[in-house]
Amino acid sequence: MAGIEKASASRSGAHTVIGSTIVIDGEISGDEDLVIQGTVKGRISLKESLYVESSGVIEADIETANVEVSGQVTGNIAASDKVELKADCKVVGDIRSPRILIADGAVFKGNVDMDVKEGKGK
Amino acid sequence: MATSDTTTIIGESILISGSLAGDEDLTVRGRVEGTLTLTRTLVVEPTGQVKAEVQVKNCIIAGVVVGNVTATESVEITKEGRMVGDIAAPRVIIVDGASFRGRIDMGEVDVGPERRVTGATARAAAPSRPTLRPSAPVRAPQKVEKKVEAPPAQPSRPSVPPAPVAMGAVKRKVIVKTKK
Repeated sequence: MAGIEKASASRSGAHTVIGSTIVIDGEISGDEDLVIQGTVKGRISLKESLYVESSGVIEADIETANVEVSGQVTGNIAASDKVELKADCKVVGDIRSPRILIADGAVFKGNVDMDVKEGKGK
Repeated sequence: MATSDTTTIIGESILISGSLAGDEDLTVRGRVEGTLTLTRTLVVEPTGQVKAEVQVKNCIIAGVVVGNVTATESVEITKEGRMVGDIAAPRVIIVDGASFRGRIDMGEVDVGPERRVTGATARAAAPSRPTLRPSAPVRAPQKVEKKVEAPPAQPSRPSVPPAPVAMGAVKRKVIVKTKK
């Protein structure tokens, strides 16, 4: 149950991939999984999962259901389901989510808030 | 994994507003608003909508593009493609069925040395032309023999009409290709 590692197979199913040489300055929103290998500044709001791969650099506030970070994130993260900080990631900012996983090796600086008022959680 | 190496895909439900820059191919199935700068190819798929100033190497439009597109190589509007805006590219391909409104600038169009040069070198090129104008030789077949030595008399006339054609029509040249 816990510590399930999402295989890269799940990522290949994602529709949107921001490649490693891409730089986006602005806002990204959508209803599908998003894989970021490049750079995004601004704001990201999704209804599905966000994967920040090891080459990914984000300077943005993030609002999604799931976040999985292997790269760098500077900004606040608000996830309605889960935030997972993988080994070797660097995250600076506040995290708000009912489930937060921080792996050994992850670098994180900021506040964590798991107290979500949704009546939906267990 | 295979697709993620050199291609970026903007999925159908994704909206990006702001600026987007990169050095790889980009496929847009969702929406992009703002500015879009690539050193490679932009593909706007049928579900894609781009409302942006676009600067790319190649651009293939099968969806909707509103805004100016500048390409260093080519712009192609496919039969599903719709575009409103100006195109600046050395090669512009608009396929049958595509819809487009705007200006096209294909750069300094060499009107072909043959025509431009008419003023100066027309005399040299002239001998091949008379075939296009049957009226002249027919009237004076005898003169043709003499003209071998002195052609300037005839070419002075043809040099006049090509000039206006070159000035107006050639600046915007659109290749219209019918898909089979």
